[in-house]
Amino acid sequence: MSGNIRGFGYLESLPPVTFRRLYQQPATALAIFRRMLPNLAKTIVTTLLYNETPVTLGDLEALVRPESYREREDAFSKLRRLHIITENNLDVSLDPVFKKNFRLAGDHHSFGVPCNAEDKKKITVQFLDDYATRQFEAILHYMVGTHNEVKPSKGVITLLTKGGLMERYGAGSSATITKNGFSFLLQDGNPQIWALLIQYLEMSEELGMEQTDVLHFLLMLGSLELGQAYSVNTLTETQKLMLADLRDYGIVYQRKSSSDRFYPTRLATTLTSESGGLRSASASMSSAMAKDAEEGKGFIILETNYRVYAYTDSPLQIAVLNLFVKLSTRYPNLVSGRISRRSIQEAIKMGITADQVIDYLSAHAHPQMRKSLVTLPPTVVDQIRLWQIEGERMRTTTGFLFKDFHSTQEFEEVAKYAEELGVLKWKKPARRCMFVTRHEQIADWLKRRAQQQQPKKVAA
Amino acid sequence: MPRAVKEIHQSTGVLIECDPSIKAIILKIDKDSGHGYIVEDLDDETLVVKEPKLAELKLRLEKILERTQMLEKDEESDPENPG
Repeated sequence: MSGNIRGFGYLESLPPVTFRRLYQQPATALAIFRRMLPNLAKTIVTTLLYNETPVTLGDLEALVRPESYREREDAFSKLRRLHIITENNLDVSLDPVFKKNFRLAGDHHSFGVPCNAEDKKKITVQFLDDYATRQFEAILHYMVGTHNEVKPSKGVITLLTKGGLMERYGAGSSATITKNGFSFLLQDGNPQIWALLIQYLEMSEELGMEQTDVLHFLLMLGSLELGQAYSVNTLTETQKLMLADLRDYGIVYQRKSSSDRFYPTRLATTLTSESGGLRSASASMSSAMAKDAEEGKGFIILETNYRVYAYTDSPLQIAVLNLFVKLSTRYPNLVSGRISRRSIQEAIKMGITADQVIDYLSAHAHPQMRKSLVTLPPTVVDQIRLWQIEGERMRTTTGFLFKDFHSTQEFEEVAKYAEELGVLKWKKPARRCMFVTRHEQIADWLKRRAQQQQPKKVAA
Repeated sequence: MPRAVKEIHQSTGVLIECDPSIKAIILKIDKDSGHGYIVEDLDDETLVVKEPKLAELKLRLEKILERTQMLEKDEESDPENPG
């Protein structure tokens, strides 16, 4: 991934204490279960949930087919890292706090207390969708510098500059978009929102807000129901403060800041949709944005001669296209231009990857283009990728170097394990060196192996 | 055979795979800057550098390459829209 926009995955790096505190709320425990665990890990959690006594690791592993070794390791590693399971020798049980609160999930005030009193003015789902779209698009418009009737609040602008999506040179000058900001624009809706919220989480700490409180609230939003009003009274002081900010992002709606109820918008209720349903969650968002659906569904035609025609008059879409297309002509409802080596390499210099460009083009391809077997002309797609490689002098992979293995045998074992996990990037047996993309599972494995071997050595 | 207990070493970094010629330039940059970039020199085409230093390294590499390579004229012209 280009740039350093942190998404939802960032939460995994929080310290154990934070997780323990997070699990004190059923809604949060459920949200983490739904959104952060792979399916196999969910099965393991449900297996353990109503077992009063610990289950042996062997029994749990027997649930998984031997050939799904990689998935199994992945699931266990995730559960360990999120501190959902605790292990005592070979006995596995759920974290007691997690277990207790996960059982409560479903009916608890941490899921928000619905406000059943009739609102004076009926708030429709359509209204909420419009509101969310308007607020969120205002942020995107502001980033590309187009004029829009809704201007984002000061808080939003601070968030964008703090998060490195925009930059301000000098105190009085207006902010301009950064490299990170460009790749942010090309992302899907849900990752965009999470990127903003993670930044918000960091900032809230600086402002002296309780981090777990903030996280509880964010994760709770995902389990609320669209179109339902929720009471403000059960929220903590921190969370009440947050409402004002979340209003600015279009995540919740309140008629007045003094109102005793708030409505989550679709941006909120899709926050913790299951990771598998992510695409569809953002798709449901865009199809819900009725006005945009027509344009958003597909407005780009890409021809084999690298010409691009985009049926749009949205300044936002034109600005995004302008990142990687050399636009030449503009008509009232159409812009046309051309993708060229230079336009792509300029985009790459800004931190946009060829894949992001291709994804964007195919996500917004005109219905006419979708009629053919392959949406985008393969020659153009290949060329875009080639242009990217051409500019690269070297291939880089972030990860971890392991060296100084005790023996060739140990090296080979670890290398084999890493390969099975799919994290091995490079190895050199002659030097007993290897490079892996993720180290947590290997470190875990080494630790457990060392523990298993220790007694044997003593005995021998 | 008795052996001193030694930990398996683990360090964070960015693995770079490139041509030997590019690697030679990277080695030179590293040497000139007082070895601020490289974590581990692995072989002719691979090395590990410090992650926070990667952007800076790329920039310096680009600068050096700019001096050595002729920039080709961009084939930007479009038959339908000259200029």
